[in-house]
Amino acid sequence: MEYDEKGVSIVPLDFKKEIFKEARKDFRYDEYVLGCLNCGVCTGGCPPHRFFDFSPRIVLQNLKTKDPELIWTMMDEYIWACFQCFTCAMICPFLNNPGGAIAILREIAVRRGFESARKVLKPYSRVLLKLTAYGNQLSPDMIQPDFFPDWGPDISYASADLKVKRKAIPMPTLQITNLSWDVSPEAMKELYEIFDESGVFKIIEAVDPSLYEIIMDIVEDVRSS
Amino acid sequence: MPEEILVIGGGPAGMNASVMLSEIGVNVTLVEKDSFLGGNPEKFKYKFLFPDLQPAENVIGELIKKTGNNSKVKVLLNSQISGFKQTGNKFDVAIKSPQGDENKIFNSVIVATGFEHFDPARDAKYSYQLFDDVIDIKDLEKMLGEGKFLRPSNGKPPRNVAFILCVGSRDRHVGNQYCSRVCCVVSVKQAIELKEHFPESDIFIFYMDIRTYGFFEDLYWEAMEKHDIQIVKGRVAEITSGPDNTVVCKGEDTLLRGPFEIPFDMVVLASGMEGGPQSLEMADKLGLEMDEHRFLKPRNITLSPFRSNIDGIFLAGACTGPKAISDAITEGAAAAMSAHIYAQKNP
Ligand code: SF4
Ligand code: SF4
Ligand code: SF4
Repeated sequence: MEYDEKGVSIVPLDFKKEIFKEARKDFRYDEYVLGCLNCGVCTGGCPPHRFFDFSPRIVLQNLKTKDPELIWTMMDEYIWACFQCFTCAMICPFLNNPGGAIAILREIAVRRGFESARKVLKPYSRVLLKLTAYGNQLSPDMIQPDFFPDWGPDISYASADLKVKRKAIPMPTLQITNLSWDVSPEAMKELYEIFDESGVFKIIEAVDPSLYEIIMDIVEDVRSS
Repeated sequence: MPEEILVIGGGPAGMNASVMLSEIGVNVTLVEKDSFLGGNPEKFKYKFLFPDLQPAENVIGELIKKTGNNSKVKVLLNSQISGFKQTGNKFDVAIKSPQGDENKIFNSVIVATGFEHFDPARDAKYSYQLFDDVIDIKDLEKMLGEGKFLRPSNGKPPRNVAFILCVGSRDRHVGNQYCSRVCCVVSVKQAIELKEHFPESDIFIFYMDIRTYGFFEDLYWEAMEKHDIQIVKGRVAEITSGPDNTVVCKGEDTLLRGPFEIPFDMVVLASGMEGGPQSLEMADKLGLEMDEHRFLKPRNITLSPFRSNIDGIFLAGACTGPKAISDAITEGAAAAMSAHIYAQKNP
């Protein structure tokens, strides 16, 4: 986030207070953040805790301090280590939901287009594009070695000769490779209505303006067809 | 007509109430559902009692003797209250016992139905009953009482042992929000006993808060400075099986090291206390109130913790909430006095 040359946050305290107020106003907040025994059970069961310096207990404790400064600092990087698996919520003896509280903070970061949210969403721009423009999440042509190194050494084989491989699938994929299945223009138009109404397009505009423009070009094409 | 008082439950509180009443000449009928006197301390063969580690025999054995060989106390074992109604200021009670059914009028009644140990199998994360080497404090107390110190799985001495506090207490998931008050000191006591037996072994206690209140604190200090027991702040989130026939405790050391996964030879769960079905049954039969923690509810928890919501029925011991044996014995005496006064005032 914004710092001066000495590494001191230049974001005004009032803004940080506003952000915390927004979180507390969320209808889920009082249900997710109760008391805290500081017992660490949530953290003990938290998968990322094994790999990163990350602890849902600390998230909960920071929220309990009501210190807008501390909460702001967590929003920069800390809360993005969470997988949103909700193991913490299942095992907390106080019935807190640290993962849920994290979701509230992340949604604020996304809605307001914070740098942290942009950074996290950047690698997903292709997925976002497919999803919002065509209603598909992953299409066969997206499975390329560069983007899915975690799929192992056979990813090159998986991404080659897509057209032939698609023909072998018994389901009606219509043999296309740029989408998982063919989506009719009517369905797309309905989809855009939903994204408009629910504010999804606005969120994308906030976190990734250039992606937003690409999506809007497609939307306009489809709408005028 | 001589005064007749009914005592329900033959644990420390009920036994002491009976003995004290007998000493002032009251006729006592003591109804006990089990086949022996002594309650949980006898059932699980408690061996040494905190805070001074005196033999349980000095306390429980002594009370059993005084109650059992007492011409003023009629002890009915394997017995139940089968009917109960108030007649005027007195109580008309039907008792079912191996000696036959009887109906008797009592001047007043003391309920001392005690507690049940929480069953750790109800909280799946501890893997109790899944692994032989995961036991709880009552199992260990029984083992120690029988002179068994070795690992249940293979009969070898444990190289390291973990105690996990607050099992079944202070946890909304199992429905018990309260603290069971004695499991901290029992765990510390048992850790010391194990360490004295196996000086080479490493003993850990995982805690959220150590609640060795009052003089029990002495044992906690002793555990650290004399026995080098490691006290780690953090509740264990999961117990799984580990290499080399171990069980692994996984959690967060909230003060120092962060995440931990430590294999242990033996894990001891400090399971807490619950009101148990016997108190619920008495509430039903006698018309007593229960509190939100599923213990019997005193009329005023501070002013008259031994008085029930019904005049003439008194409460003593752990049936009103988790407590130490000494507190149960004190309440037995207080309830005896109150039951006697009620009988005197309502002849
Ligand atoms: S929801 Fe997030 S904080 Fe909670 S256990 Fe999963 S990864 Fe950890
Ligand atoms: S498990 Fe619940 S009570 Fe324990 S530290 Fe986490 S949030 Fe707090
Ligand atoms: S006495 Fe100790 S172990 Fe028992 S419930 Fe209370 S804090 Fe937990």
